[in-house]
Amino acid sequence: MVSDSQTTRADYYRVLADCLSEETLVVTALGNASYLWAEIREAPKNFYLEDAMGLALPMALGLAVAQPNRKVVVVEGDGGLLMHMGALVTVGAVAPQNLIVLLIQNGVHAASGGQALTNAGLDFAVLGRAMGLQHAENIASADSFRPALVAALDTSGPSLLVLATEPDLTAVVPPVVFDPVRTKQRFTDAIGAPRYVPTFFGGGKLVAP
Amino acid sequence: MTTRKMATVPHRPSELLDALRGLGVQLAVSVPDSWLGEVLIRIDQEPTMSLIRATHEEEALAIACGARLGGLRTVLMIQNVGLLTIGAGMVSLAQRYQFPLFILASYRGTQGDAIFYHIPKGRVTEPVLQGLGVRYAVADPQRPIGEQVEQAATYAEESSNPFVLLLAREDIQW
Repeated sequence: MVSDSQTTRADYYRVLADCLSEETLVVTALGNASYLWAEIREAPKNFYLEDAMGLALPMALGLAVAQPNRKVVVVEGDGGLLMHMGALVTVGAVAPQNLIVLLIQNGVHAASGGQALTNAGLDFAVLGRAMGLQHAENIASADSFRPALVAALDTSGPSLLVLATEPDLTAVVPPVVFDPVRTKQRFTDAIGAPRYVPTFFGGGKLVAP
Repeated sequence: MTTRKMATVPHRPSELLDALRGLGVQLAVSVPDSWLGEVLIRIDQEPTMSLIRATHEEEALAIACGARLGGLRTVLMIQNVGLLTIGAGMVSLAQRYQFPLFILASYRGTQGDAIFYHIPKGRVTEPVLQGLGVRYAVADPQRPIGEQVEQAATYAEESSNPFVLLLAREDIQW
């Protein structure tokens, strides 16, 4: 649950960078969720969202279904999740074993300047369990995040780790330009995703590279 | 005595499902309505296709984009009301990142729809799509539906952008 945690997003991200393998796919929501992750661990298997608030989680769900043999980690914010709380219901229903949801709970809309949330005090771990995510846990420090993340990476999901975080209202300047089409192309190249091969008169197919 | 051959009326929803199989669609993401209900059950029973039932059309759009990012051929199946609620994700995600989002939408609120309360949605569907800059086609009842489905999917892929095929009841309701 949201608390007076002094843990920063960067504290959690350093642990995350430390624990992930190169094969893990990471989808990050808008704002510092993406900007700071690019600063700490820029990689082709990162998919950075800008704008599209609330859509990181459902996008990661689709990716996890398409890539069942890779772990998919998504970083969403509490404000973003509130916009599409139904997506967590769908995650619980589909139950992809390879999906780990990291929910930054800072109690505000940080990406847009710190405006108050509709309800900053929700217990998302309880909600997550009610929605079918059996492994759902509230976390308030980087030290407790590490073993929880390692366990989530080693076991079948979906998992939800709710990270109580001090709001970070100053936008980090990412080290790379977030060109959306390049982000997508680079990602699909990195994972060797099938791509559309056209034919002269329609009827093209997705073909593995 | 002369024998008259009975004209065979094609079952358009079956042709639509055949077209999805032929395209190699692996995943359908849907928020259903009464016209779509049965075809979704049949998709769910297909050995080569999966179905995700989403809670909201914009969420469904994002799931479809994520699945396509991961390499699955995907179709989004919604009622046209979803085209009215999907706008932010359509422009910020599907169009900005150039996802070839292939959408089949039941076209409620047209003259052939007996349920009057769909009319406000039918009235504005095409102007909204035009305003969003989304290319679309209204299914032609005089042409086989299967080839129209294939052309819609191909348009989405070739343009790396969303394309919507608006379907009549006869096209989709089993």
